[in-house]
Amino acid sequence: MKAWLRLLRLDTLRLTRSTGVAVSVVLFLAIGIYAAWRGGRNIEAAASSAVAAETAYQDQLEYLLSSYPPSTDAGEVLYYLAFPAPQPSLPLAALARGRTEVESASLRIRLLALEGQLYEHETVNPTLAAAGDLDLAFLLIGLLPLFIIALTHDLVSSEREGGTWNLVRLFARRRRLLAPKLAARAILVGVVVAVPVAVAAALAGFRPDGRAAWAVALVALHTLFWFALCLGVASGRRSSTANAMILVGTWVALTLLAPAALSLANAILHPVPEALELTVRQRQGYHEAWDLSKAETMEVFYEDYPEWSGRTVPEDVFTWAWYYAMNHRGDQAARDASRAYRDVLREREAWARRWSRFVPPLAAQLALDRLAATDLGAQLAYQDAVRRHHERLKTYFYPIFFDAAPIDAVEWNGVPAFEPAAREESPVRAGLPAAAALLLASILALAAGLRTSAPRAD
Amino acid sequence: MGLRNALLVARRQVGAVREDRYVVFLLGLVIALGVVAVLGARHHAASEAEQRARYQAMVERQWVEQPDRHPHRVIHYGFLVFREEAPLAFFDPGVGAWAGTSLFLEGHRQNTANFGEARHATGMLRFGRLTPAAVLSLLLPLFVVVAGFASVSAERERGTLRLLLAQGATPAQILAGKVLGTGAVAALAALPVGLATVAIAGSGAVGPVSAGRVAGLAAIYGAYLAGWVLLTVLASSFRASSRSALALLIAVWVALCVAAPRLGASVAGALHPLPSRAEFTHQVELAMNEVGDSHNPQDPFFRSLRDEYLARYDVASVEELPVNWGGVVSREGEAVSSRIQEEQQRDLVEGQRRQDRVLSWMGFISPYLAARDLSMAVSGTGPEAVEAFRAQAEAHRYDIIQRLNDLHISEIRYENDRAQRLSREHWAEFPTFGTRPPPLGGTLAARSLSLSALSLWILLPLLGLGLARGRLARVGLERSGS
Repeated sequence: MKAWLRLLRLDTLRLTRSTGVAVSVVLFLAIGIYAAWRGGRNIEAAASSAVAAETAYQDQLEYLLSSYPPSTDAGEVLYYLAFPAPQPSLPLAALARGRTEVESASLRIRLLALEGQLYEHETVNPTLAAAGDLDLAFLLIGLLPLFIIALTHDLVSSEREGGTWNLVRLFARRRRLLAPKLAARAILVGVVVAVPVAVAAALAGFRPDGRAAWAVALVALHTLFWFALCLGVASGRRSSTANAMILVGTWVALTLLAPAALSLANAILHPVPEALELTVRQRQGYHEAWDLSKAETMEVFYEDYPEWSGRTVPEDVFTWAWYYAMNHRGDQAARDASRAYRDVLREREAWARRWSRFVPPLAAQLALDRLAATDLGAQLAYQDAVRRHHERLKTYFYPIFFDAAPIDAVEWNGVPAFEPAAREESPVRAGLPAAAALLLASILALAAGLRTSAPRAD
Repeated sequence: MGLRNALLVARRQVGAVREDRYVVFLLGLVIALGVVAVLGARHHAASEAEQRARYQAMVERQWVEQPDRHPHRVIHYGFLVFREEAPLAFFDPGVGAWAGTSLFLEGHRQNTANFGEARHATGMLRFGRLTPAAVLSLLLPLFVVVAGFASVSAERERGTLRLLLAQGATPAQILAGKVLGTGAVAALAALPVGLATVAIAGSGAVGPVSAGRVAGLAAIYGAYLAGWVLLTVLASSFRASSRSALALLIAVWVALCVAAPRLGASVAGALHPLPSRAEFTHQVELAMNEVGDSHNPQDPFFRSLRDEYLARYDVASVEELPVNWGGVVSREGEAVSSRIQEEQQRDLVEGQRRQDRVLSWMGFISPYLAARDLSMAVSGTGPEAVEAFRAQAEAHRYDIIQRLNDLHISEIRYENDRAQRLSREHWAEFPTFGTRPPPLGGTLAARSLSLSALSLWILLPLLGLGLARGRLARVGLERSGS
């Protein structure tokens, strides 16, 4: 045991004294801490965006109430008012940013037809988004394997090429020689993973809950996969150069090619004309109503809100009840297209999940996004929450519209607050399939590597 | 004589690559991927374009088929426009996926373009996209590295470098030959992608593509890959062993092509943060509240406008004005609100351009960024194409809305204003929308940073090779002396 520890210390020292290793450790830690800091900043930015939506509502309300006489129809003022619908982000979003760069989690919703308002982009700069974003997940899933490859591809071959292998083999069995070398590398990799994750945890306030535990487990399992793969390849009798080329080639295939090819296939297999369809339909559904009799519009409104069917609106004058019913007609017209749109997105998500199981980095990344609620599924859940909120708001204000009440009759403090989408999915459901896939992939990689490189009379 | 020696070395290098089964396998893989990328991206771009064209036609038809309507009604009916991608988007989709595709144009407000492709994509998209441009800019350099890392070092390790020198080849000829040989292999790998792209662009199936743009792309990728060939041979000639040359080159590739773009984008975002959508719309509202609202007759701005009109036409009330006062309010209100929103929007775009400039400077570190920047500029899929669409759509919006307001002023009487309707014949008189892409010259002129970065990317390794030439000879002599 003591000899083992001595070997471990020796290997660790030898590793850290190599300039290449030292430089890459320092670089990796620096970028890691930077990414952790950025992750924390992104969380703060999301929070201040939520505050802005709330402040904008208060400012707008104050402005409208002060510039319109109190006898104004509430419907007129409500035409302008945008209600905040901020979805708080999970601390884990600092680790895996997912799609939050593109999508707003602090929508501001007016009482008008909703379908035209649900799909606002964030103020993202497409140039930056196209270059890709650097979050900790990218570093740990995308780049860390290269660091592992650099450390382990010559585990055996360097000794052989240095001429020391036969010498050391005289004193110990193969496994006893490899174990401390591997342990030294695992410690080094552990450090470059743990430090930035700890920084991110401190900055973003990770709670030690099931989600965080699964996230850590997934990163660990993904790291294990690459160690297994490297060990499998490195134990063969190939040269260091050949090992490096095989491992980097595998990395390119798994981290760049497979995801890119799957993305393209997903987009081709599941087209989304519904996105444009629902936009066109909502606009037509609302505007056609201006050229129909008011009774016709109200008739379809009563289909969804039978409780109001006793209240008719006059044909010859403008009423806000009719105006908002026309807006509802727009949403109604877009309903099928909108549902179809969401169905296609869910299909894309399910398809991506299914195929990601065969590509370890993808499995880990998509599961991390899921745990951090920054994936497509979370975005759809948020949109559903906004739909429910819009419905609650309409229900709150319909009595005021039908009574043609003035603004001073509105109880502004009683306006329903946004209820964020619940994180219903248990962390186990998000993490377990990917974890199992990673574990299986690790075993297969190791077994395949060791089988093809079964030590002959070494 | 010199050229002959260089060509001999080049042929020798190609032969060495041909014998390496691993490299031949990779060559096949790169070519296959390139072809798949061209076909896949072409298919995808075509179906997207077809979709947009179909809906654009539908919206135009719906516009002229409108019944008799009050012009202000039509101002709210508005118009939908869809962003067309440039013909070469199948080769390099640029930033298009992250910019919106459908934009609703209506009175009183500037909407944002929605439904960018990235909106419909899963988390996979963050790993990158399989496009012909990505194959050339990301994968081919790695292939060049694998094909050339041993070009000089293997000769040295086998002792044949000394033989070559002894047979009368100068170090410069050897290096030139290695560059030519590795370059030939790289060209072979890039050729199928290039030919497929030219064939599709030339067929006219994607829309008119000027020969200048195709030549521009060839020049950009030629220069970019030449830089990689030079760097690879350079590393191979000054590193002690093939193995350490490979390690260095792979590290450089990871740093320049994988890490630097993301780090650059992240730093650009950190240096020049943009307001979020919620913050931005809040700012716009605050600015708008200061000037008031054309729908609100109590508003001070419109009260003073009324006094001005009453004085100009020397009448006592708006009812007596020879023009429709409601339309005037709407037109002036539109002018003011458009100006304010456009100012805010320009600020936002200016913020994005500041971020872009940070990324352009990063091009001096990462030639991948420089080549990518130039590639999307020439393909017509860069940020300026997105901004051109936005600005032109806004101009179109303003034009349509003010035409409608003018109709409101001249064709609709003031009394009983909202009960009147304009004959539907008017709708066909409105112009339709078509994007005018920014011209290539201007797009490239704005990219002096990336152009100089790409030039440096060739010049620096060339300089390095010049220096390595002397060392190569010394290494050869040292070896022969030992």
